[in-house]
Amino acid sequence: MKPEEIDWGRLASVIEKHRDEKSLLIPLLQDIQETFGYIPPKSIESVAEAMNLFPSQVQGVISFYAGFSLKPKGKYVLRCCRGTACHVKGSRSILRVVEKELGINEGDTSPDYQFTLETVACLGACFLAPTMMVNRDYFGKLSPTKVTSILAEYRKDKEER
Amino acid sequence: MEDITLTINGKKISCQEGTSILNVAEEYGIKIPTLCHHHDLEPFGACRLCLVEEEKTGRLMASCVAPVAQDMTILTDSPRITKHRRNIVRLMMAEHPESCLVCSKGNRCQLRQIAAQLGVGETDLYPMPNYKRLEQANPFIIRDLSKCILCGKCIRADHELVVVGAIDYNLRGFRSRPATVHDLPLKDSSCTFCGTCVSMCPTGALASKNTQYVGTPEREGLSVCGFCGVGCSLTMGVAGEQVIEVNPSHRQDTVNGATLCVRGHFAHDFLNAGERLIRPMIRKDGELISASWDEALEIVADRLLNIKRTSGPQSVALLGSSKCTNEENYLFQKIARVLLGTNNIDNGGYSSGQRLLRLIDEKTDGGCRIHPLEQLEKAEAIFVLGANPDQSAPVVGYYLKRASRKGVTLIVADPRQTELADFASVWLSLLPQSDLELINGISALLYQKKAYDPSFIDRFTEGFGEYGDGLSSLDLERVTGVTGLDLDILEETAGLLNGKKIAFVIGHGILQQRYGMQSIEALFNLSLMTGSLGHAGAGIYGLARENNQIGAWDMGTAPHALPGRQPLNDVLNGDTARRGWERAWQAKLLPDQGSNVVRMIEEAEKGNLKALYILGENPLRSLPQPERVRKALESVDFVVVQDIFPTETAEIADVIMPGAAFSEKGGSITNMEGRIQTFRPVTSPPGEAKPDWEILFLLAAKMGYTGGNDSLEKIRAEIAELVPMYAELDGQRDVAWVKETSQRKLFDPGGKGGMIPFSSVVSTGDEVYDDIYPFTAILGSVRYHLGSGTRTGYSDRIGELGLKGEIEISPEDGINSGLRNGDMVRVLSPHGSLERAIRLEKRLRKGLIFVPLAVNANDAMNLIGLTELCRPESPGWKTCRVKLEKL
Repeated sequence: MKPEEIDWGRLASVIEKHRDEKSLLIPLLQDIQETFGYIPPKSIESVAEAMNLFPSQVQGVISFYAGFSLKPKGKYVLRCCRGTACHVKGSRSILRVVEKELGINEGDTSPDYQFTLETVACLGACFLAPTMMVNRDYFGKLSPTKVTSILAEYRKDKEER
Repeated sequence: MEDITLTINGKKISCQEGTSILNVAEEYGIKIPTLCHHHDLEPFGACRLCLVEEEKTGRLMASCVAPVAQDMTILTDSPRITKHRRNIVRLMMAEHPESCLVCSKGNRCQLRQIAAQLGVGETDLYPMPNYKRLEQANPFIIRDLSKCILCGKCIRADHELVVVGAIDYNLRGFRSRPATVHDLPLKDSSCTFCGTCVSMCPTGALASKNTQYVGTPEREGLSVCGFCGVGCSLTMGVAGEQVIEVNPSHRQDTVNGATLCVRGHFAHDFLNAGERLIRPMIRKDGELISASWDEALEIVADRLLNIKRTSGPQSVALLGSSKCTNEENYLFQKIARVLLGTNNIDNGGYSSGQRLLRLIDEKTDGGCRIHPLEQLEKAEAIFVLGANPDQSAPVVGYYLKRASRKGVTLIVADPRQTELADFASVWLSLLPQSDLELINGISALLYQKKAYDPSFIDRFTEGFGEYGDGLSSLDLERVTGVTGLDLDILEETAGLLNGKKIAFVIGHGILQQRYGMQSIEALFNLSLMTGSLGHAGAGIYGLARENNQIGAWDMGTAPHALPGRQPLNDVLNGDTARRGWERAWQAKLLPDQGSNVVRMIEEAEKGNLKALYILGENPLRSLPQPERVRKALESVDFVVVQDIFPTETAEIADVIMPGAAFSEKGGSITNMEGRIQTFRPVTSPPGEAKPDWEILFLLAAKMGYTGGNDSLEKIRAEIAELVPMYAELDGQRDVAWVKETSQRKLFDPGGKGGMIPFSSVVSTGDEVYDDIYPFTAILGSVRYHLGSGTRTGYSDRIGELGLKGEIEISPEDGINSGLRNGDMVRVLSPHGSLERAIRLEKRLRKGLIFVPLAVNANDAMNLIGLTELCRPESPGWKTCRVKLEKL
């Protein structure tokens, strides 16, 4: 989702929903991230105001958790597992293939905000190694061809829309 | 809390349950190293250096956060502990850059001290310095987070003590650092540059930015801040004869604790300014030329006595200083009254509404003189009116914000949405000058609900019946009309105050305004009705702008009062006070009130004033209508200025005598709480400048005075002996308190002073608005300057900040007037004009503009008319009607 597409009215309504839920900062941040795909930095001040916190404290919480992002992410977030089991099963090559296919490096988002590529330490599905996740779907026993076809599916989804 | 017993290092100790092991150990003189601990901050347990061992279980605990328990056997220095501590420090050192050679923290670095104590030198660990970019884009603080050890003191000081919240930890793990929101430079964040974090930082990660001298001070000396009326206790670091660094003092139980504000911390570089006056000057043939002390004093003594002889004592006036010490002000008024025979003496505190605070003193007969700020945090409710302490007296602001965070009801009445308004339970955005109606309205609502203290009223007051009748007949519709506030919010406020003792905090918004006197009386009534007087954490706290504004008044540098606030004229009591002083000074004193500073100017205009002696004040910059004041003073035959800077006023003087700044002399000052603090010189005065008390003494001697007073100690002893209010100023202690001498029943059950009367309910007149001047300008302070900005104007750091003092206007008015940010405008009032840039401020309401004081030679005063603040018809100095012209 592109940053300029932020609907500030929608942000305000998400925040309003959680106002007065004292000490429930994290659920509010999750809700914002769920709605926008990331936490727009400009929302920090309004979140702080609603939660009666300092903006610096809100930023501290956001930047502490890997699950929160202050940068916009792609529509599909790919998480390639780089844990031990997957590594042994060749996850480095899988990552290379994904990088090459999408034309972006680890940690980056494609310019059309379709894909974000991340690595994680373990997905807890070592019996399926090498594995990756796309948003909430798991893919296991990957091979370069399988990766190509999975990515093609998601690309097709874009073209159809 | 029960007492429990435990053993620390083999020593049997008994202490209260719930205390931390660290606190108990410190109490018994057992030293445990710490980096993240500070007695004013909540325990945090970040650095782990305070590890101790429980011998029986072998458990290691961070002693700052581990509470004591029955029968513990604690070891604080076992080989195991030392090994762990060494490891912690080794890891910190491995991450620390090797910049100690150029680090201004030098040997004061606590990391370095602890490493030395633990014998950690060159470490064998692989160095992984965590380089961060250096931030020094502001004139005050250098931030080198490469040296940060993540103790969190800066963050906690920011959140817990000054309650600004500009920084917090950002990111996680190795990358974690304190950061502002969006990682902006400090000057673009909400940081107020109070510097509390700088004083707290154990390493060189945060340091004061110095331009002239970089490094560790050679020695340190205790002093008291020279700026606002809070009177913070300071430690001044000195190199040579220059003050190069200022920190809060390490003493405990000070008014400021570990905090300061930007002025106290960083603006004292004015002391080293090259413009300081260093030798006496006299005017010869229209030119000011250097002279010897003897020559200057001779001229001043001769001319003053001459003018007194030829034109009478009424033609001489003296303006004392709310920045000079008690001893100096005492001596100054003694010169006026005894040697010159005049009561024409005032001090700069006049502009801060001293005359209005006097009303409270008169009504209580000297009963409400002590207002400890620390009690605010324990108050039941705080009501702030016409005060913006966040800018004018920041340390008071910290107290209020901390109180609000602790759950104390805070009500802020201010036409502007100040920072403090964000901390308030209710912000009353009333129209300017309508405080009187607001106070009356709330009193009436409380009266309706019978929310008053009948037993207090019965025992200590009189006239409540009549006052109650006045409240019952108050027209609440008119109140809402005049204040612009809904009845709902007034009801809500009354509800919050119901049954509580209230602490009122008032500032220039009340003390300088159109209905100042009436507002004070209304507030006083409200505090009587609620039983808030004579109660800890309640009463009327008046903000003092200058550090010795209260002391100057107490010492009798006022046209209406003798030292100790004693009346000049008290026929009912046989003039006992004046007769007493006549005996003590062996002189005849005039019973008639003298001229206040505004009257002095008026008398000068009429040609009645022939000589004016100004001590440490700059009326040409601080009074309204500076051009008018200039003309008036130029017409005075003989003007003496005793100051530390070549001020606007000094430029028109006939004789200039260079005085010493507070840090260059000894003395005592009295803060807004009633705390009298004694201090000694930290450096010597520059050039031939002398401490002001010495100049005054030499002058008195030249005028033929032989009554002693030739040393600070002797002056102080005379004050302590003759002024009952200052009996504690005995030279034995550094901190004393003024005495409340009231005989009213409330303060002295057996006293003869009787009851405290209520005043009758009065209302504001109707505002008449005209179309020629469509806006109301509010003049107010900014935290980077004090008063008219004479001294802060000589601070290099404040200068580097380049404040332009933009006029604030609401976006709505801005658009209607075709104004955008940065446009230059001319602001015109019936009295004068000024030109500045404009800034749209969405926190300001329509119809108002805000004009910051002190900047641009304090040209804001051009807009205000010079009138006596204590006259009921005075329009006040706080607001005026203006129009804007786009340039």
